[in-house]
Amino acid sequence: MSAVIDIQGVEKTYKRRIKALRGVDLSVGQGEIFGLLGPNGAGKSTLVKIMMTVISPSKCTGTVLGEKIGDKNTLQQIGYLPEHHRFPAYLTGRQVLEYFGAMSGIQRKQRKAKASELLELVGMESWHKDKLGSYSKGMRQRVGLAQALMNDPKLVVLDEPTDGVDPSGRRDIRNILSHLKDEGRTIFLNSHLLSELEMVCDRVAIMVHGLVRTQGTIDELTADQSGFVITTKEPIPEHASSELNSLSLPEQAEQTSADTIAFKTDDATKVQPAIDTLRKHNIVIQSAGFKRPSLEDLFMQVVSTDHGDKPGAISGARSSKKGAKS
Amino acid sequence: MILTQTTAIFLDAYRELNAKKLFWLTLGLNLLVVVLYASLGINEQGVTLLHWKFQNEFFTTDLVSKELFYKLQFTSWGIPIWLSWATAILALVSTASIIPDLVSGGTIEPVLSKPIGRVRLFLTKYLTGLLFVGLQVTIFSIGCMLVMGIRGGAWEPKLLLAIPIVLAFFSYLFAFCAFVGLMTRSTIAALLLTMLFWFAIWIVNVGDAMMIAQREGSILQVEDAQADIEKQTTFANKRIEQLREQGKPIPGEDGDELTNGYTDSLEAVNPALKLSRSRLQTAQEGAETWTNWANRVILVKTILPKTQETVALLERYLITQEEIAVLMGMNEEQAARMNRNEDEPAFADPRAPARVEEVMRKRSTTWILGTSFAFEAFLLLVSCVVFVRRDF
Repeated sequence: MSAVIDIQGVEKTYKRRIKALRGVDLSVGQGEIFGLLGPNGAGKSTLVKIMMTVISPSKCTGTVLGEKIGDKNTLQQIGYLPEHHRFPAYLTGRQVLEYFGAMSGIQRKQRKAKASELLELVGMESWHKDKLGSYSKGMRQRVGLAQALMNDPKLVVLDEPTDGVDPSGRRDIRNILSHLKDEGRTIFLNSHLLSELEMVCDRVAIMVHGLVRTQGTIDELTADQSGFVITTKEPIPEHASSELNSLSLPEQAEQTSADTIAFKTDDATKVQPAIDTLRKHNIVIQSAGFKRPSLEDLFMQVVSTDHGDKPGAISGARSSKKGAKS
Repeated sequence: MILTQTTAIFLDAYRELNAKKLFWLTLGLNLLVVVLYASLGINEQGVTLLHWKFQNEFFTTDLVSKELFYKLQFTSWGIPIWLSWATAILALVSTASIIPDLVSGGTIEPVLSKPIGRVRLFLTKYLTGLLFVGLQVTIFSIGCMLVMGIRGGAWEPKLLLAIPIVLAFFSYLFAFCAFVGLMTRSTIAALLLTMLFWFAIWIVNVGDAMMIAQREGSILQVEDAQADIEKQTTFANKRIEQLREQGKPIPGEDGDELTNGYTDSLEAVNPALKLSRSRLQTAQEGAETWTNWANRVILVKTILPKTQETVALLERYLITQEEIAVLMGMNEEQAARMNRNEDEPAFADPRAPARVEEVMRKRSTTWILGTSFAFEAFLLLVSCVVFVRRDF
């Protein structure tokens, strides 16, 4: 899988002292949906803006779509939906699409056809003659997503695409993203909604304090914390616990609470002796199953264990001020 | 692709102006002024406005041709009031938001993420502001030209020079407005500071006109004093001749000493000459002082855009100096014959305005436009550098 985004050592320092990015390395393969997450002020939007040439990096090597970051011609193949966008309120939905289509260099005839197609895709065909000023936030977000697709991009960069969108709208956007992935496009998602990312992303990266702390597939990132968990109806009595301890159970099995035992294994056969012992003592098993930590668990773990120095926090304040929120 | 993007930006600018209703409001006002211009007329008794008649001694068809009448109306209020002030203010109010809106958060990101260079984006946006003024002035000028042709019987294509001239004049102000808008991201700040800048230019222009009037007045005083000295010297020479013929002593000659501080025999026989010489010296000192001041103001003016002179170019092309002299009803000789108090300041000389007008008209178009465009180019260059380097 060739890398659509392959960047190393991206740094951004504001006013020579506020470090928003401190050497970000990132690789996104072709045709995948990649999620970038991190707390406020982590530098996510700054990174996205650098890729979109809205901000110039202090230091950066690597490529986007095979060209150096900052190359204007490459932007013809990238679609971008910024966070907190403000498309002109005096334009209708269709005019927004046609305007940004023209700015991408698309000819009039293709623009018109593409705008109709995309308005239908995002479910805005019946609103296309109304001005943006009369749209709800969710509707504006749908139009924003459509404008990002006007130029038939190879890479789609979406900064908080479901911001302000209702649950059914989110599902629609998820479906659109899957559809885009099926077409072979690469999608770079920047979002706070971890559950959304978890549902659609092939790989994720977690940024904290201007650095990527971890990246990979969700399975890879949670592999060492997944396993079987058994929960009993009542607390496990002392004598049963002693017997369980004497069994040859997986090394990392532990009784996490009075009624729960966790096993760090994905092998179900290794869990059977524990179930047998519990049943022998007539202990009612409430549940038994394989459990994988959620993305939120992973996120919280990375964020809480990160003790990065102050600049990241300062950069958050800076980002908010400059409208470069993450 | 460049054409597609440029067309899109211009179309978007039109839609923005259209949404603000300012485009149509300004167009409506322009057409109203053209209608007002068309409703003016002149006959044997005086001036007419629709069916009303106003008797006037000067403005009658016996003295002023219809052609000149319409030309005069255009140059007396069409250019200095409507095109120089009203149109420019309306245009500034309409277009001051173009750059602040472009660089506001949430708007700039999607535009910058498109394959268009920042310099081209900024300059195209800047041109959209000028297009607004261009359209308005074009409609106004064509309207006035039709009125002049149909009502005045004179087809004056030179009137269309108003389009590039007013456009040039507005572009100086709009370059400043765009610069402030980019730096502050505020429409109000851009508008108010541009007005302040324009006012500062106006102050410099007033200062310039005053310095030139003083200088020209002083030069006229020098010329008057020189003429007077010549007259008094002739008279003194005649007096010396008379004394010689009568065999009387001539002061300062043949051992006769000069008294009362006279410097030579001429002064001694004609004391008025001493006064004239003293007046010449005062006038020369005044001329030198005012020339120095006028030169200093010109230095300042050279750096600043020449708003007033640029618009005055139109008047220069439409009305000749001879026509102005005729209209003023008096030439320099007539003015010189008028009695005036010598204690009055130099600029109060009735011949001074004509001299000032002459000096103004002698300022070359190259200097007026060249230095103004240099100022504009400098501001645009700085704006482009800021726009290219800024993180949004």
